[in-house]
Amino acid sequence: MKLSTVLAAAFFASSAFIPTVQAQDQVNLTWQMWGDENDTALWQSLADLVTEEYPNITVTPQISGWTDYWTRLPVLAASGQIADLVAMQSMRMPSFYAILEPLDAHFASDDFDTSVFEPSIIAGLAHDGTQYALPYDVGPWLVFYNRDKFAEAGLEEPALDWTFDEFKAAAVALTEGDNYGFAGQAFDFIAGPVALGAEYFNDSNEFAVTNEGYVDAVGKFVDLTAVDNASPVFASGAGAVTASGRFASGNAAMYIDGPWSLISTQGAVDFQMGVAPLPRGDGDSRFITAGSGWGISAASQHKEEAYKALQILTGPKAAEILASAGRALPGRLAEQTYWYDVAAKDVSGTREVLAYMFDHSTPFRLNEYWNEFENLITQYMPLALNGDATTEAVLADIQSQLPF
Amino acid sequence: MAAIDQATELAAKPRARWGNRLERAEARTAFFFLLPGLIGMVLFLVVPIIASVVLSFTNWKLLGTPEFVGISNYLRLFTADPQFWPVLRNTLFFTAEYLVLNIVISLGLAVWISSLKMGQRWFRVVFFLPTFTPGIAVAIVWMLIFAPGGFFDFIMGALSIQIPSMLTDQTLAMQAVIIVSLWAGVGYNTVLFNAALDMVPQSYLEAARIDGANAWQRFWKIRLPLISPTLFFGTVMTAITSLQVFDQIYVMTRGGPGNATATLGYAIYQRGFQNFQMGYASTIAWVMFAMIMALTALQFWLQRKWVHYDN
Repeated sequence: MKLSTVLAAAFFASSAFIPTVQAQDQVNLTWQMWGDENDTALWQSLADLVTEEYPNITVTPQISGWTDYWTRLPVLAASGQIADLVAMQSMRMPSFYAILEPLDAHFASDDFDTSVFEPSIIAGLAHDGTQYALPYDVGPWLVFYNRDKFAEAGLEEPALDWTFDEFKAAAVALTEGDNYGFAGQAFDFIAGPVALGAEYFNDSNEFAVTNEGYVDAVGKFVDLTAVDNASPVFASGAGAVTASGRFASGNAAMYIDGPWSLISTQGAVDFQMGVAPLPRGDGDSRFITAGSGWGISAASQHKEEAYKALQILTGPKAAEILASAGRALPGRLAEQTYWYDVAAKDVSGTREVLAYMFDHSTPFRLNEYWNEFENLITQYMPLALNGDATTEAVLADIQSQLPF
Repeated sequence: MAAIDQATELAAKPRARWGNRLERAEARTAFFFLLPGLIGMVLFLVVPIIASVVLSFTNWKLLGTPEFVGISNYLRLFTADPQFWPVLRNTLFFTAEYLVLNIVISLGLAVWISSLKMGQRWFRVVFFLPTFTPGIAVAIVWMLIFAPGGFFDFIMGALSIQIPSMLTDQTLAMQAVIIVSLWAGVGYNTVLFNAALDMVPQSYLEAARIDGANAWQRFWKIRLPLISPTLFFGTVMTAITSLQVFDQIYVMTRGGPGNATATLGYAIYQRGFQNFQMGYASTIAWVMFAMIMALTALQFWLQRKWVHYDN
């Protein structure tokens, strides 16, 4: 009797012990990411790479739509339900760095070298000199143009260092009837003026959007619509779909987008398309780049394992998969060639244009109120475009609503 | 007599005690049956409401811990925020125009449907259909129709009507939002008023007809007073939902162009979930709540002048 009691106790003790050991060894990481349903298999294949390398680590992607992602992220973080691995876009880093684990100590532990990545995106995913995420993609805003329309109008294709005047002349020449030479959208009033040499910040990194240089540069893009009628007025609610839609349907000959859209735009058009850098002002060309990456949640219970997974997810093999699928121009320099050879092979000049733009990249200046600024640009710029207000008045209105 | 009274009293006493015990037991049982609902209400209604009051006195930014800032959010809203008064004006403008048009159109449709000899049911279903449709889906379709260079612009162009694109014009953008809201919201009130009109006793109308009342008089003097309680309900509910308008604006205009369509509901979303100023968003929410309460109280006060209850 006594012996059986002891045996039973030993059995229960050991059976209770087994799952504990397994739980310690087997780690399941959650991975929060944006994307649509078509991307699910792609992200899963990256997650599988982690398990291949570290059989005790499984990664479960949690995908949500782009807009929802940014509404959910702070809510999940505030309620303690944030995933172990978190996707982050460089432009939103100043608002969200606090929910991410600083990576510098991890880099020091295994002598990780970030110079394998494009420097502008490594800077973009850092905040105040501390690295919070590693990139999977990168890219500057560039001009997508319809080569067939350029040829029909007898225009020369854009040079790498084309000026705003040349860009404007092309837009005007390509405008005919209801077809526009260019389709502007909200972000053009940020990337465009920077390329022309203007600044929206003062020296203390605070918004100063009424400075003469910025007003003048924004005014140049506004005039394409308000004066030259070479670009349509965009609606504040329609988002970026309109410009790419107009371009794909042949209604607009040029628009501004990033390499992340190249594969989808290319698939939607039935003409030869090319890419060109944003036009420069009187000075040298300069371009801002953006990109996205993944960081480790500061609240994660498995930071060591998450760091291991992060290295695989941003590693060479994962970059090759994403680049070959056209999903991303890799942040990793060595693997960018897969994107050029596969995703961008039918778009002329991509390699030269992007190499030129990375050579002339300028830091993308951001602060914690960036999101508000972008929303205000989308909401208020149509007033300048349809002639209801001057560029100066619109920018003064935006400035009055920004915290500084 | 006294003996009988005494006997009754004696008989009643244990019954009262027994009755009390029963009531208490029943109350306990009822409490347990009601508990799931009560827990749900406390967790998902009472606690969030109290939390939002508390939050409106803090500077909570979703991330990090909230700090108590007293009434500074309210001061900022009423004195420093350049957007508050335009937003309030837009909200009241939308409510006034939408409410009047909704009630007039839905009442007109209801009267028309009730006058039909056949096909009443069919029309009721047709007009009620938009109520089943999710508001976001409705707004997306209408946004595509009204978008610059979209279907609406094409039709106007084909008819040689010179009109600016609806969503990029400061005046027309709000009208576009109202048109969409009417399309989606008129059906509910139509069915409501139609049902009320059908309840009006035919004998009243017939008596009036015999007395020589014409159709117009019968409508104003008999049918309208008799459906006034339903009309009042429809007006109150429509006013409340229109003060909260959000879906259409989120999809179609994002408050623009400029602040032409920015309303309180959208301002709460923008401040809370785009700019992460949860404390400030809670403040706006409470101002909106106070406005809705005040307007509803006003309507209840006014109803004494025009609503007729049949008792």
